[in-house]
Amino acid sequence: MKRSLVRLIFTFALLLPLQVLVFRNFVIYGTGFCFIYLLVLLMLPVEMSVITGMVIALLTGLSIDLFYHTLGIHAAACVLFMFLRYHWLRMNGPRSGYEVNHLPLVGNYGLGWFIGYALPLIFVHSLVVFLVEAGNMDLLWQSLLRALITTIISLIFIVITQYFLYPKQQ
Amino acid sequence: MGQLLAFLIKYRAFFVFLILEVLCIWMIVGNNDYQRTAFINGASGFIGSVNKTSNSIGDYFELSRVNEELAEENARLREQLLSQQRTKVQLDSAEQVTIATDSTDTVQYILRQAEVVQNSIRNANNFFMINKGSRDSIKPDMGVVNSFGVVGKIRSVSERFAQGVSVLNTKNPISVKHAPSGRVGTLQWGGTDPKFSDLIYITPDVSVQIGDTIVTSSYNAIFPKEMMVGTVASVSEDSNRTYLQIQVELSVDYGRLSYVYVIENQHKAELDSLVESNPLDQQ
Repeated sequence: MKRSLVRLIFTFALLLPLQVLVFRNFVIYGTGFCFIYLLVLLMLPVEMSVITGMVIALLTGLSIDLFYHTLGIHAAACVLFMFLRYHWLRMNGPRSGYEVNHLPLVGNYGLGWFIGYALPLIFVHSLVVFLVEAGNMDLLWQSLLRALITTIISLIFIVITQYFLYPKQQ
Repeated sequence: MGQLLAFLIKYRAFFVFLILEVLCIWMIVGNNDYQRTAFINGASGFIGSVNKTSNSIGDYFELSRVNEELAEENARLREQLLSQQRTKVQLDSAEQVTIATDSTDTVQYILRQAEVVQNSIRNANNFFMINKGSRDSIKPDMGVVNSFGVVGKIRSVSERFAQGVSVLNTKNPISVKHAPSGRVGTLQWGGTDPKFSDLIYITPDVSVQIGDTIVTSSYNAIFPKEMMVGTVASVSEDSNRTYLQIQVELSVDYGRLSYVYVIENQHKAELDSLVESNPLDQQ
């Protein structure tokens, strides 16, 4: 448990500045952003209560918003992300069930499971961010395209980051 | 009552979710209102300095291009200087000519150089931030240009930074002029392509050709007249034949903003006071 906590805090302290300082400047193919900070929300413990999770998501979203000049948009998307994650984790459990003190990461439950778990959540998050930012439905198709590209790019970076930070669990 | 409480407790996660989302929506609505001096946080010193660090990471990769642009501008300015020196030589020969030494009244615009430390072009409403603020006498509603043309105007100012509304903002229309005909219209960004903007309110009787120059009109106190804005990229009539639909290719590449000039119009206060002292409802 202690080790998981240290990992969580370390990842949080690493990814948020990384997002704000570096990835904010990257716009890939002119439409795709990279929301690497979502890894922090994805790797919160499975047994954490949904209310705690949503409060953490709100704070994370707000700190990102301050630097993106979109106060509230990322926060709203993150809270929704966390609420859906709680139910999605229960619907989409691995075959052998969750193990206590194992964070939901590639190293613990495998790449295939992790993609199935993370992909829809990141997509919903990106879609909410772009739709709310556009402010109306006129840019619906463009927002969908942006969300799709952003999801794929974010997922690739999130998976790569995990191989970097947590090479292999024993 | 007990049942109600039990219901609330059973679905407490959902209610917390609703409360948090309402909080977020309240923040979004409260802070995205264009006219209010929102984004105070964005222009505040701490976040500005973080943005500056983030920007300086990217700065090194742009140095060569910025150098090139500055050299080009230097050359252009030197050219103007040389052509003016020539006229002075001619004047010198006529010793009777007197030149007014007090030039305070003749300077209408003051330019201040600044660097863009934060900029967006992919949103529907884009903003940028520069590294000069109230300490360098930057005030809201000053115009911002670079060597290629119009960039935007200042919206809010903190001590060391200022935030501006880009031309690429659906809520920032600009009064412009079709240079060959002199007709005035409004430049309004459509919210999608950062290279193009729409020119509206030009009637079909004006002959607009592809490639015509679009410049700022003299109907605003923010920009000097006839600053470059862009060139006409395509023209068509709308379905009612009321106005032309004109697409303007912007002369500024907003994706690569680096050094800009903030324009102060010294006569702006006088202009505004005259407008405000004669409100329409008193006539």
